[in-house]
Amino acid sequence: MTYLDFASSTPPRSEVLDRFAELNRESFANPSSTHALGREAERKLEQERKTLLDLFGVGASHRAVFLSSATEGNNLALKGVALQYSNRGKKILVSSTEHPSVIEPLDYLANTYGFEVIRIPVDSLGRVLPETLQGLMDKDVILVSVMGVNNETGAVNDLAALSKIVHAYPKAFFHSDLTQAIGKTDVPYKDLDLFTFSAHKIHGLKGVGALVLRSSIRLVPSFHGGGQEYGFRSSTVSLPLAGSLVKAVALSLKEQKKSIAHVSALRDVLLEGLQEKGMVLNSYPEGCPFVVNFSLPLHKASVIVEGLSQRGIYVSSLSACSSKTDQVSYVLLAMGKSKEEAGNSIRVSLDGSTSLEEVESFLNNLSALLLEVRPR
Amino acid sequence: MKADTLMIHYGELSTKGDNRKAFITCLLHNVRVALKKFGLPCHADRDHIYVQLGEEDPRPIIARLKEVSGIQRISVVMKTAPQLEEMREGVLQLLKEENKETFKIDVKRVDKRFPLDSYGITCDLADYVLDHSDYAVDLHQPGAKVKVTLRSDAAYLSCHEELGLGGYPLGMIGKVTMMLSGGIDSPVAAYALIRRGIKVECLHFASPPYTSYAVVDKLKDILVCLNDYQPDIKLQIVPFTKIQEAIYESVPEPYCITVMRRMMIRIAVAMAKKNKALAVATGESIGQVASQTLESIGVIEEVTNFPILRPLCVEDKLSIIEQAKRLGTYEISIRPYEDCCTIFKPKRPKTKPKLEDAKFYESKFDYETLIQECLQNIETIYISEGKEVEGK
Repeated sequence: MTYLDFASSTPPRSEVLDRFAELNRESFANPSSTHALGREAERKLEQERKTLLDLFGVGASHRAVFLSSATEGNNLALKGVALQYSNRGKKILVSSTEHPSVIEPLDYLANTYGFEVIRIPVDSLGRVLPETLQGLMDKDVILVSVMGVNNETGAVNDLAALSKIVHAYPKAFFHSDLTQAIGKTDVPYKDLDLFTFSAHKIHGLKGVGALVLRSSIRLVPSFHGGGQEYGFRSSTVSLPLAGSLVKAVALSLKEQKKSIAHVSALRDVLLEGLQEKGMVLNSYPEGCPFVVNFSLPLHKASVIVEGLSQRGIYVSSLSACSSKTDQVSYVLLAMGKSKEEAGNSIRVSLDGSTSLEEVESFLNNLSALLLEVRPR
Repeated sequence: MKADTLMIHYGELSTKGDNRKAFITCLLHNVRVALKKFGLPCHADRDHIYVQLGEEDPRPIIARLKEVSGIQRISVVMKTAPQLEEMREGVLQLLKEENKETFKIDVKRVDKRFPLDSYGITCDLADYVLDHSDYAVDLHQPGAKVKVTLRSDAAYLSCHEELGLGGYPLGMIGKVTMMLSGGIDSPVAAYALIRRGIKVECLHFASPPYTSYAVVDKLKDILVCLNDYQPDIKLQIVPFTKIQEAIYESVPEPYCITVMRRMMIRIAVAMAKKNKALAVATGESIGQVASQTLESIGVIEEVTNFPILRPLCVEDKLSIIEQAKRLGTYEISIRPYEDCCTIFKPKRPKTKPKLEDAKFYESKFDYETLIQECLQNIETIYISEGKEVEGK
């Protein structure tokens, strides 16, 4: 089996599973309970929260909300800020290549609450350029959301430069979806007002993520109830899940440098191999090395992905093999790619554990399939 | 006295003359299989199968029996001695359990030696009820209706009966090879055959990587739905990619589908013969798509003189969808994995193909060898009582 779909999900590390089991065994009590056992759980939870913030170097300025996923984090951050601060203005800027968990909540705000949501165009490499953002900013903007690393192409945004532009406007907050960025690129965490991620993309467990936000920011809650997580997200907090997430983040950041170096070398082999086969590259050499995206000039992506799957090689494409559900990537369209290219792209995503043999096996099998399979 | 027996009335037995014994034996076997998990004693006589309920709730058992072909009706009955005193008490008790204001009694006297005739018995029983309750007789729209069947050994009293599937007991009239695409129609066609008592074995044509293996998972789920009616179903997967590719290299686009269907029928007939099935069946409905016009069917079926059944040939799409929803296969069929990839879908398929042309085009490649290769690489999956099982 050659798994090259790490941007979709990763296997949990044994340290993460151990931490989850350990906390489940030792501290099952509800952190909101006032007895000694509950207080013990709460103490551990707050310790995990502090460790997480310290890992990002934002212990003094930010706080963290544990929740179920990056999708939930994006929903809480965007709807929470927009609804809380709508008296300041109703304009929101969002990069045009965001994940649906960012775009959909903003469209909902636009359709239901009358917010003006403006898509920030990207350049041909898929990046939001500082000058583009600068041109769109004005005093009515209350929120800007730009992702760290694009999930389809690995395009990297210069979050430091972008946040600086936003912060020239005191009313505006800067949010970044870091789901594909943590442990995979350097992030100026301190410059971000809000950021979100999930654990299962960095060898953590599914079902847990976090929203980290500046302590001064208030949010309209997503869940109403017992008032947990600063009142933003009522629900009994899972200490074991929170602890497992912190473990995953710690290991991911610890190994970041080493794994970027390892994966960059593999990415270079991959890009070269794809170029030799005449593939259209949608990722660029300076982008995040963990994601490589390319379009098939002649073949249907879904057919090649199915063929690879039958050979035990797992990569990603958007569309299923069906006339009714053919989809095109809005990310690639936003980069100015053609409809054919945007409809026939394949994403290969790597990991610190990926070997050169696996990358070569992918390239060899791709070559064989391109000869075997009828063009579209 | 208690209504603690289920009486199963046979399906289309009247026309079966000499086959009566085979029918009853087969149905009794199927009923026992269907009710295995309840562990209830069953026995058959010339006219009915009886299931002793004991303390069991009859509802889930009746629901299960409604999925067994060959059953006309199912009634919950109380058994009494064939004597007026006991029948009177039984009828009164049943009506009290029903507790409706009006009633009607229907008597069938099978044992003609009984001193009173049907009318006489009816009057006697009704008088007894009228004397011992406040209920009134209403022959046209009775609130409760008691059926009394008087046999030499016992009388059977019942207030409730439900319709069964009808048809013949499954397996009694042989089996067919059903071509199962994964679409909406073929599962409904399979059900129609099963309901008639015909056992189905399924054949699917797969063209990986142009079609996804997810289609096979979809087929397994569909067969799990059909397991309610046929507890064991065999699914065979034909590796069809090479033939597909050969067709699209050698045959002009408008004729691709016609030639493809001719290849499929050849393979299906070969598989049917190998599996000792007596016919091939498809979910085709006349006129629905290009390959299902009468002209196309004629040209396609020319490859064989083996029987080909099309249970849905005159059904319209809406009624097929309706049936698929009732079966529970509709939601599975509309999952977005198609059985045929867009790469192989001609833009203008021929609706009135000519036999000579189809023959000419398919003569351009060596399909006999490719078909033999297909037949040697068939994958077989068994779905039994709701899950995939190891081969038998």
